[in-house]
Amino acid sequence: MADAGGWRPPRPCEAYRAEWTLCRSARHLLHHYYVHGERPACEQWRRDLASCREWEERRSAEAQRSLCESERARVQATRKHALVWTLRQSPPADWHLPLPQEEKDQ
Amino acid sequence: MAGAAGGPQQQQQQQPQPQQQQQRVACQVFPERRAQGGSGQGLLSSVFSNDQGCQRLLLKTLQTNPYVKLLLDAMKHSGCAVNKERHFSCEDCNGNVSGGFDASTSQIVLCQNNIRNQAHMNRVVTHELVHAFDHCRAHVNWFTDVRHLACSEVRAANLSGDCSLVNEIFRLHFGLKRHHQTCVRDRAILSILAVRNISKEVAQKAVDEVFESCFNDQEPFGRIPHNKTYARYAHRDFQNRDRYYSNI
Repeated sequence: MADAGGWRPPRPCEAYRAEWTLCRSARHLLHHYYVHGERPACEQWRRDLASCREWEERRSAEAQRSLCESERARVQATRKHALVWTLRQSPPADWHLPLPQEEKDQ
Repeated sequence: MAGAAGGPQQQQQQQPQPQQQQQRVACQVFPERRAQGGSGQGLLSSVFSNDQGCQRLLLKTLQTNPYVKLLLDAMKHSGCAVNKERHFSCEDCNGNVSGGFDASTSQIVLCQNNIRNQAHMNRVVTHELVHAFDHCRAHVNWFTDVRHLACSEVRAANLSGDCSLVNEIFRLHFGLKRHHQTCVRDRAILSILAVRNISKEVAQKAVDEVFESCFNDQEPFGRIPHNKTYARYAHRDFQNRDRYYSNI
């Protein structure tokens, strides 16, 4: 986490509002049930929106802490499962090479 | 059927026997992938083919579809900038496969005789770009590890819209609660069987083994994009990632 001098919320407050609105929509309820078989949990987006606004208005340290904790938990949730493959350090060497047919033509 | 990771006919060096067999199966689906690799279309055949229609649909997808724009951005960020002429090829394919990713030539094959309309093109390009993205960011053993192929097919079915409620209803597959996951499993198995000479049981076992990990790996979207709104939000988050990671 960047120090207090340069810190700002990880997302603009408008993004938290948009996510909370989307989460509570009937369409999202249907999509979420179709994928997970249960209702979505939207409360955390509401809390994050409140924290973001509080930080914008009062530069609250508690709001900053709460937002960081929430977003770190989201990142952790995506890293829960070990990957099937090894990630590359650099892209495939032949990605940009001409096609073998083009090489023959040249 | 949406795309599967296709294999090449190109044989530049001695390769292990199982890999050659798998490549032969893929050749049968993508007959224009000739020995020298790349697009097989000659000048004469392109005059009479659906190539121009395919190119037109593809251009519109690349320019306007939010799923595809995010994938293109993510690939550029990973060092695999996509060039339409180099990395896409419109060809006629056997069966009812819609497309494939040829890892040996780094090309996405679009089956112009099977892609019906703009929405279908959007979905096929998204599906194949997921494979290309996986190829770009990870060491995927496409031909020697069926679990790697299974993982990419799970991700492609999950993230491309292949298994949307509407698409499943059109296929007369009716289900609601957790049906998306059933669809992803089933379509991943179908895609594997389209390009690999293995039994359904082996394909099923591979999908089962990798499902938990690969279903939950939703890069570069960070979520399952159920429609264009979700895809736009995902793209917004991707563009914001520097701010995001430097402030958590």
